[in-house]
Amino acid sequence: MAHETPETPPSQIQQHEHGTGRYFLVWAILLCFTAITVITGRTDLGSANLPIALLIATVKATLVVLFFMHMTEAPGANRLVFVVSLVFSIVLLVGVFGDLWTRHPMSLPPTAPTQESFDR
Amino acid sequence: MSSSETHAPNPHLAHHFETIEKQDYAVRLGMWLFLGTEVLLFAGLFLGYSVYRHFYHEAFHEASRHLDLWAGATNTVVLITSSLTVALAYHAIKKGQTKRCAGLLIFTILCAFAFLVIKGIEYHHKFQEGALPGQWYHYAEVTAPGANLYYTVYFLATGLHAFHVIVGMSILIWILSRVLRGHFSPTYYVPVELGGLYWHLVDLVWIFLFPLLYLI
Repeated sequence: MAHETPETPPSQIQQHEHGTGRYFLVWAILLCFTAITVITGRTDLGSANLPIALLIATVKATLVVLFFMHMTEAPGANRLVFVVSLVFSIVLLVGVFGDLWTRHPMSLPPTAPTQESFDR
Repeated sequence: MSSSETHAPNPHLAHHFETIEKQDYAVRLGMWLFLGTEVLLFAGLFLGYSVYRHFYHEAFHEASRHLDLWAGATNTVVLITSSLTVALAYHAIKKGQTKRCAGLLIFTILCAFAFLVIKGIEYHHKFQEGALPGQWYHYAEVTAPGANLYYTVYFLATGLHAFHVIVGMSILIWILSRVLRGHFSPTYYVPVELGGLYWHLVDLVWIFLFPLLYLI
């Protein structure tokens, strides 16, 4: 089927051209970070394990958003929408953990629940 | 068509938009709004994970060691690679390379399917072991209190993610069928772009799920 071409293709207005090289580069970096997170994740680094894993995941996610999802080329409104959703996710986490860390520890059952504890 | 017209009507332009540029701007913004709600949806799940991990630190640590690390790592590689190929498919259709775009989409869809198969094998093992959510939990190797909660979060989070994989795969199949029917060109490729964005989100969620469930 024939599509007629509008005079100003939208692709030329908002995106500068780049080759496929950067996609392969990002992919290679993501694979490297995956290998690093597997190695550091299964090494006992004490309390450092969680921050390292979260840091690597955040870097990987940022690369995907910026380059695979073309956030670098997106208009400001789109960036704002996505960043606001991230900010509110952080507000949610900080709010709940602010509460948890400033409380007395909650009393938890000493053993795993058994079938009887559900039947009761 | 009269010769005085300066613009050929674009068949993809909806009547309530003045130009295709405005329409493209609007659909991209709409997609990012939707992706924002997806982030919030998964944020709730991650919060639930964090709170229970805070309460049952030992059980979560121990239970995470009983997941199949290599299945999880393989799935990470599969998803990252499929994210690459869907980005390349978008790049190809922008250049008007329809066949290349179709091939890359087919590879992406196969990756999605491979992810689901590997996930299914993992689920099957968990069912056999009795590492199940809540009251169905009867896994002998991890008896620490809260282990059943770990598997509740595990099945909820990976289940919701797997559902997103199925939806993403269906969207990509639909996009592929439109690519094969020649619907897209260098001047109109927004559906390929948005389908790709959804697929990248599926990858994003897994980037966080994998270390939190398998490694910590």
